[in-house]
Amino acid sequence: MKMLEVKNLRKRFGDNEVLKGIELSLDKGEVLAIIGASGGGKTTLLRCLNFLERADEGEIIVNGKSVYHAVPGEKTEVTPEAQLSFGLVFQQFNLFPQYSVIENLMLAPTLRAKRQRSEGTAETHEEIRERAEQLLKTVGLTDKVNAYPCQLSGGQQQRVAIARALMLSPDILCFDEPTSALDPELTGEVLKVIRGLRDSDRTMIIVTHEMEFAKNVADKVIFVADGIIEEEGTPEDVLVNPKSEKIKAFLSIINKEELED
Amino acid sequence: MEQFLAISLDLLVGFGETLKIFFVTLAIALPLGLLISFGSMAKWKPLSALTRAAVWVVRGTPLMLQLIVVYYGPGLIFGQMLFDSHSAVYITFSINYACYFSEIYRGGIQSISGGQYEAGQVLGMTRSETFFKVVLLQVVKRIIAPMSNEIITLVKDTSLARIITYYELIYFAQRYIKDGGLLWPLFYTAVYYLVFTAILTLLFRWLEKKLDYFKA
Repeated sequence: MKMLEVKNLRKRFGDNEVLKGIELSLDKGEVLAIIGASGGGKTTLLRCLNFLERADEGEIIVNGKSVYHAVPGEKTEVTPEAQLSFGLVFQQFNLFPQYSVIENLMLAPTLRAKRQRSEGTAETHEEIRERAEQLLKTVGLTDKVNAYPCQLSGGQQQRVAIARALMLSPDILCFDEPTSALDPELTGEVLKVIRGLRDSDRTMIIVTHEMEFAKNVADKVIFVADGIIEEEGTPEDVLVNPKSEKIKAFLSIINKEELED
Repeated sequence: MEQFLAISLDLLVGFGETLKIFFVTLAIALPLGLLISFGSMAKWKPLSALTRAAVWVVRGTPLMLQLIVVYYGPGLIFGQMLFDSHSAVYITFSINYACYFSEIYRGGIQSISGGQYEAGQVLGMTRSETFFKVVLLQVVKRIIAPMSNEIITLVKDTSLARIITYYELIYFAQRYIKDGGLLWPLFYTAVYYLVFTAILTLLFRWLEKKLDYFKA
């Protein structure tokens, strides 16, 4: 069974059709990198998967279960389960500034446990804390448990954000340009954490500009342009031996920028 | 000396009446302002238009006039007073200040980045959980300065209540002019206002410091 299947996903803003029928699928433990020029629809795709935008049309199936099925002209509700099938790490981290690192991790699970208390399945405070400490170990921040976001570097903040997303145990963890807001010397520590997650068999979707990273980490790369998947395949296929003219043009611009850096 | 003490104590009673207006107004206007700010930010256009129009009227007319309208208005229209002077003062002050607060809240709420709500959503939090557990304290931190301004203004606006026969500090002091030709108690009232606003200023400074531990 596929971990994720996306069928005919469409999204328009006014007259502007941003996604024109996206199809993709992922196996468990696979890592998908999405590349493409700004305005091509890659971020919208990611936002639709996380329901920050509602796709107008199409279906999202996680683990064989349809979690979102939009029919044109009808409003589609997103259940809490559907929402939590996906986790998202933002470009700008979006940590909660008034909470310490551990509180950032524990807030959402604690609120969820409170909601579930009536059903008798809720996690206890101690269990949540234990998981939070475990995840902070995974991202290498055990010494920052009680620090506040403003006391952390960008790279550290992003690692907290990753741990925070993992607290909800999403089936698929998404990253929206996770290193774009970071100073170059801090991207390494974040990419290392993501690589570590891949090695522990986590299914991930990463929108990225880091071509080298995509090449090393992704099992699959898609190139999104003008709302469609222009090219897809292994990193080798897409990044080294691209077929379409659009991606060749895109890659040559990126390569030139990297040379200039 | 004895007279000074006696008058001081008497004025203290008057200041107690002043403080009543102050605290009742805050107790009602602080939450009511939040409700009004939600109204003016509502996605449903008729509600936001109506709320904004109401805020415009309240902020666009003198508080003194509003007091007169609320107190005497029902009598003039229906031939029947609706409120005693105390109720009229509490109602008018609360609504008036709630409108000012609502605009401060609105500015504060709208200045919080959408990323905070989005982070809440992808973590499975409801919108109201995100607002009350995440956004609200950041808003509080950002609005302390304008709120302290308004609240200090409220301390002194209480003296308007006198015109619809709510007997507060200034009224107590003026009685000494009428009854015995004593002028100084009126000027002396300034001390009460100054001491109280000094306490408020310290309180706000403490709160600001208390929220200094994070950046928002």
